[in-house]
Amino acid sequence: MKRLTIFLVLFAAIFVVAGCVADVPPTAVPAEAPPEPTAVPPTEEPTQAPEPTEEPTAVPPTAEPTPTVEPTAEPEILSENLTGSCVAEYDENVDYFPQKATVEYASGYTIEYFNNYKVLTIPLPWQGAEEGVQYVLVQCGTPLPDGFEDATVIEVPVQSFVSMSTTYLPYVDQYGLIDRLVGVDNASFISNEDVRAKYNTGELAEIGSGGEVNVEAAIDLDPDLIMTSASGFADFDAHPKLEEAGLTVALNADYLDTTPLGQAEWGKYLAAFFNKEGDAETLFADVVAQYEELTALTADVEERPAVFNNTPFDGTWYMPGGNSYVAQLLADAGADYLWADDESTGSLFLDFETVFDRAADADYWINIGFFATLDDLAAADERFTEFAAYQNGSVYNNDARVNEFGGNDYYESGAANPHLLLADLIKIFHPDLMPDHEFVYYRQVK
Amino acid sequence: MSDITAVTQSHAWPKLGLRWTAVSTLLLILIALFLLSLTLGSVRIPLRQILVILFGGEADKATWTTIVYAFRLPKAITAVLAGAALSVSGLQMQTMFRNPLAGPFILGINSGASLGVALVVLTVGAAGTTLLAGLGLMGGFGVVIAASLGAGLVLLLVLLLSRYVDTMTLLILGLMFGYITGALVSLLLYFSSPERIQAYISWTFGSFGGVTWGQLQVMIPAVAAGLLLAWLSAKSLNALLLGETYARSLGLNAQRAQGVIILSTAVLAGTITAFCGPIIFIGVAVPHLCRMAFRTADHRILIPATVLMGAIVALLADLIAQVPGSQIVLPLNAVMALLGVPVVIWVILRRRNLRSSFAGGQ
Repeated sequence: MKRLTIFLVLFAAIFVVAGCVADVPPTAVPAEAPPEPTAVPPTEEPTQAPEPTEEPTAVPPTAEPTPTVEPTAEPEILSENLTGSCVAEYDENVDYFPQKATVEYASGYTIEYFNNYKVLTIPLPWQGAEEGVQYVLVQCGTPLPDGFEDATVIEVPVQSFVSMSTTYLPYVDQYGLIDRLVGVDNASFISNEDVRAKYNTGELAEIGSGGEVNVEAAIDLDPDLIMTSASGFADFDAHPKLEEAGLTVALNADYLDTTPLGQAEWGKYLAAFFNKEGDAETLFADVVAQYEELTALTADVEERPAVFNNTPFDGTWYMPGGNSYVAQLLADAGADYLWADDESTGSLFLDFETVFDRAADADYWINIGFFATLDDLAAADERFTEFAAYQNGSVYNNDARVNEFGGNDYYESGAANPHLLLADLIKIFHPDLMPDHEFVYYRQVK
Repeated sequence: MSDITAVTQSHAWPKLGLRWTAVSTLLLILIALFLLSLTLGSVRIPLRQILVILFGGEADKATWTTIVYAFRLPKAITAVLAGAALSVSGLQMQTMFRNPLAGPFILGINSGASLGVALVVLTVGAAGTTLLAGLGLMGGFGVVIAASLGAGLVLLLVLLLSRYVDTMTLLILGLMFGYITGALVSLLLYFSSPERIQAYISWTFGSFGGVTWGQLQVMIPAVAAGLLLAWLSAKSLNALLLGETYARSLGLNAQRAQGVIILSTAVLAGTITAFCGPIIFIGVAVPHLCRMAFRTADHRILIPATVLMGAIVALLADLIAQVPGSQIVLPLNAVMALLGVPVVIWVILRRRNLRSSFAGGQ
């Protein structure tokens, strides 16, 4: 009995000490120590102290340039959305969202505006999902609408945000929201320099992803919103655990949109949570204009070089389908994609000889994965050298912007910048059409 | 040495001639399957064209020649080599340990290989150079060299230990090596990025399709040497079947014989694991199939029989994994286990007294 008591006391002591250690402020962590790219984040990892998050109804700490417009008794017409503040005096006749998003290209979500709230709907949050998801975004300082008891209600503008995919970061940056970003899934793969800088000063927490998401760290951060994608497989999805912990999660299905402009238009989806529709509309219109200008360049090209994609992984060659994102980019770039006749929007699973049979004489080979040089390709499989594209040196990869941990900016900011992707591709296939363009995401593999 | 022959011959093989007929039948089946695997693939090439290509003629389509020579032929040869090598090493281990559960990897050779591969795939590049440089090593000889080094290291340890301990202790030590390397690999996995984990797991699936002519130039001589060693050990294996002490009393230098057997097994299993990844099942099952089919425990019959049967099983499994007529490819090990295990269970249940196979072969 005595021994047991001693044991218990010891145990309690260890607990207290461990608690103190965990409370050490994040400044004790050397800022330069690169994070281990752990696949499975240890759950006991002392989390970085979160930024003090204000109550959503309080005046936000971030000094937004937008003047706080407080409606008076007279119904007033707002000229801009409230991107930083709440409504002090609610008037049901005021349209609180004068800047609205119109969704033209994206097929994965819809947005509906009402005076003091907006409804975002994703009919298919993941491939094969049985039902859609709906988010009711209510202007803070205004009452909740009736009839949405089952939907997720989120007060906007969101003041603290956790991004679980790098594809959201370009928009976060463009809309000036980096100071509201408090956490990410894994900082190693981030390319955006401002976000990296914020992480390096210890102001950005990592909460891991998928089934191994660090729920404790997420609760500790207590963000207004966590945005993540979903796959429908419990092992790969973080949102069930996060929602169970009482956190507000919004799904994002940008990757399911199969057109370049459609994917880029998901910026407006993110913007809606911050009342940033104004910025989103302007920026997206610019992207569309540039994209269409480029498409016009290649519309009448006579020669469309034959192109194929990717390298095999474990014996299977994943080839983008004929209606996929990549296929459309290639068509717009004036190329003849060898699997363009296929009807699918996903990937085809081919074996090496099937690809070789069709692509042996192709003019270009792009997106070759983890191979840095032509010699790497030959070393991995000498049969790669049999392709005409290999022999002519017409091999291009989308890895011009890879960070020290292997994070590729193509997968981060590429979707938000389809006009840059297209410009790169046109420069590859029709260099004479783009004499002044400098490659952004692509490089010739040598 | 003549004594050993006398003992094994005391079991008289009345149907010795028939057995050689059976071996020839296996050879014919093997040739047929080999040709079939050159014919079937996701690209439809008519049989006539295949024959034209094989006899050095010009095919209707230039890519077909490349497909047959650069894709199907190396893969079929790899399957034959892998099946033969793993089956013979399995047979040797089962006899040496007189344990029906033994297989080519019982001494921890594949654990050594997997540790080597894990070290390359999971850590190279992470320390200094870029990720790309690290992954450039993959798929090429980097992985093969790492796997060979790992397997070789375990082999050296086992050979060294085999001079001091008996086979039972060796068996347990082999198991322990396996646990240690398994633990190290899972630690490495824990600290690796998802892409690298995927690359490592892809290696553990095992496949014959990744081996190219350049690699076959290493693989063919290595497997040939291993099989030759095994053939030279046939008589020692027959003697060992009666037990180590008995073999010794017959004048067999048991230690040296065991050394040769271990060396042969390690070369065979290590080479295949290095090039194809761990291929399960064949090494344990094929020796049983052969003992049942040939009703003998004489290794002078069993060795050629397992070579042929192993090659046949490997070719067949690979053919099925290709799902002829479709463009998909299934994981080889999964196909092998799913189709092979019921066959083995059926054979063993029919035979009932497995023990008899390990007591001199009735």
